[in-house]
Amino acid sequence: METFAALGHGFAVALQPVNLFWCFVGCFLGTIVGVLPGLGPAATIALLLPLTFGMDPTGGVIMLAGIYFGAKYGGSTTSILLNIPGEASSVVTCLDGYQMARKGRGGAALGIAAIASFVAGTFGIVALTLLAPPIAEFALSFSSPEYFALMVLGLSLVVVLGGSSLLKALLSLLFGLWLTSIGTDLFTSQSRFTFGSSFLLGGIDFMVIAVGVFAIAGVMESIRAREENTPIPVPNRLRELMPSWAELKACRFAFLNGSVTGFIVGVLPGAGSAIASFIAYGVEKAVSRHPEKFGTGVPEGVAAPEGANNADSGGAMVPLLTLGIPGGGSTAILLSALVVWGVKPGPLMMTESPEVFWGLIASLYIGSVMLLVMNLPLVPLFAQILRIPVYVLFPLIFGLALVGAFGVSDNPMNLMLLAGFGLLGYVMAQFGFPPAPLILGFVLGDAMERAVRQSLTMSMGDPAILVERPLSAVMLGLAVLVLISPLLGRLLRRRRAGATA
Amino acid sequence: MQRRHLLAAGGTLALAGLVRPARAAWTPSRPIEFVAHNGPGSGPDVFARALISAIEQDKIYEGRMQVANRVGGGGATAMNYIMERRGDPHVVGVWTSLWMSLPLVQAEARSQVTDMTAIARVAIEPAVVIVRGDSPYRSLADFIEAAKARPGQVRQSGGSPTARDALVRQLLMAHTGARWAFISFPSGGERMSALLGGHVDMMIAEPAEIREQVRAGRLRILATATATRLPLLPDVPTLAEAGFPINDVIQARGLVAPPGIPEEAVAFYGDLFRRMSEGPAWAKYVEDNQLQSAFLSPADTAAFFRDYQVQLRDVLQTGGVRLAR
Repeated sequence: METFAALGHGFAVALQPVNLFWCFVGCFLGTIVGVLPGLGPAATIALLLPLTFGMDPTGGVIMLAGIYFGAKYGGSTTSILLNIPGEASSVVTCLDGYQMARKGRGGAALGIAAIASFVAGTFGIVALTLLAPPIAEFALSFSSPEYFALMVLGLSLVVVLGGSSLLKALLSLLFGLWLTSIGTDLFTSQSRFTFGSSFLLGGIDFMVIAVGVFAIAGVMESIRAREENTPIPVPNRLRELMPSWAELKACRFAFLNGSVTGFIVGVLPGAGSAIASFIAYGVEKAVSRHPEKFGTGVPEGVAAPEGANNADSGGAMVPLLTLGIPGGGSTAILLSALVVWGVKPGPLMMTESPEVFWGLIASLYIGSVMLLVMNLPLVPLFAQILRIPVYVLFPLIFGLALVGAFGVSDNPMNLMLLAGFGLLGYVMAQFGFPPAPLILGFVLGDAMERAVRQSLTMSMGDPAILVERPLSAVMLGLAVLVLISPLLGRLLRRRRAGATA
Repeated sequence: MQRRHLLAAGGTLALAGLVRPARAAWTPSRPIEFVAHNGPGSGPDVFARALISAIEQDKIYEGRMQVANRVGGGGATAMNYIMERRGDPHVVGVWTSLWMSLPLVQAEARSQVTDMTAIARVAIEPAVVIVRGDSPYRSLADFIEAAKARPGQVRQSGGSPTARDALVRQLLMAHTGARWAFISFPSGGERMSALLGGHVDMMIAEPAEIREQVRAGRLRILATATATRLPLLPDVPTLAEAGFPINDVIQARGLVAPPGIPEEAVAFYGDLFRRMSEGPAWAKYVEDNQLQSAFLSPADTAAFFRDYQVQLRDVLQTGGVRLAR
């Protein structure tokens, strides 16, 4: 009851016209900058942060919340329309989003991404409102063995992510695991696979790989297939630019899946929204009645990951606001910004400054609604990008990809790497190797290696630590089930075929 | 007539003689580039922006200053860039302790701070030894005793083996003969979660990141890893006062310039950062972030680099970290 009274007061503050205005400005700028590939949420917040200096604390905090949510929102646009992942957590969105766009459902895909983001984002905030303290304690119970099991569970999804050949998917995954080991080893400070290059000491940037194997390789493949003869159809009528009722209905489970998966992964410090989006997509495909259609442009394949990476925002706020722990890059910069305002996130924030705490949460609700209202009308506008003839569109994609890769670090080395990964993606596509497992291995491999080494240091080398804790045992059991599921499926089918024969 | 000319000429010469020292004082003719070795929003980037903002607020220098993010190589790209800009007085690098440890352990990192032009040290980041609020360890001695009783089973969460928390552990272990495990986590948030969740027993953190948890009783400070007590924590003993007189491992931040820049430019920057560190805007930043203002002149900063690398080499070797040079 007290919660609702406090939240009501928070709304009263956040709904003042001037605060609504700042919330709008934050959401708008966050979305616009977030659309640019290579600028993830953390960089977007850092770049826009100076704009809030000199404002009154309430307005400043509210605008920050808008920027934070807006930045997460913007990532899906280029993934769907141009096959360029706007940020790490939108890579999976490329798989079905871009295929939808190629089938003339680009507007629908954007609309579904916006609605999924709204539904799951709101779910994340509601969960944050009601459950923050107990959920934060649950997150603390996660130790390295549990993180190891979570990453293994994520990696086991390779069997659903891969295309027709499991062997090719596994090889692609292994290559991703190798790529992620390039750089400086955290545990020994020694370099691995840098080939004497000081640039590679910091490892390869995730965006460079993702943009290379998706956008660059995709354009090269389209050119090889002489696609200019088959322009992408874009419907003229506004109604056809929006998701249809059937498409929305197909996404019912995806909304729920994205919400829950995103929130839970978001609460765990260091897990990150890219992992949340991969797991949500994998779960969606695993439980789907038509898994074979994934990757050809199914709306659930957009709704699940986009939902997950927005529910993640609410989840990431849990350890930040209740324990003062930033779980990742974007919450770390949010924390330092809040401190500038004299807001001190931590265990005492809820009791000592309830008006700031609840005002911030109320502004998250408002920001979420505002983003939906702002983004839906933009959908028809963005969908027009697909009308651009390929001889303009392809150079445009190349240009944006180059800007994105250069923007991550201002380093020309990244352009060489981008070209290399584009070529790699193209060759892989020619031989039927799916690129998604490579990205999966790259995203999860690093965290998995760390977790297993942390666990073994804790147990002084005894591997039993990985399986003797109940939560990790359950997750590892699930991973085994997922891994043998293709075999089981084949057995079942054979038996059924035998029964009918 | 002629004489007057001569006089005038003589006057000009005399004037030129008088003016020379003033003309020799170098001022920037282009915007000054502050090189940070990580992306927007990262620690070095935020610190570089804070320096610029302090200089602007106190109107110490009114020309343009901007941050350039030279990301890559875990810091090596930014250091290489400083070396490549030999002789360019419009570039300064924002160094951290990493700039000194990186070339020691990585053969690929060939740029050394000792080859650059030292400009200033501006801040020291103090550290505190913390345990959980309900931990049985009431003092650092309790912790050390427990580590001696169960070697390897007591754990500390931290960063890389070349970071300050790992170095303090090495020195404490060498001093006491106790041994405990060091679990590396990439971010401060994960280190803190491991401690709060009870998966590790101790952590060495910066005061600003633990202030709220300590106030709420979730964490307890056992000692400060500093030479003197911290003004904000007057009741907490230093390592030496707690009975463990080890060398102070300083984690500092400051500025360098490319090699071969004019003496006058060095003097300009030394003066700029000295005046900044005496201003009110900097004082507020230091207080908000619980840092210690610790200005050193260009010459003293160069000496600091040399001493620090000698100390670092020694501690890393004791800890069994393989050195590249």
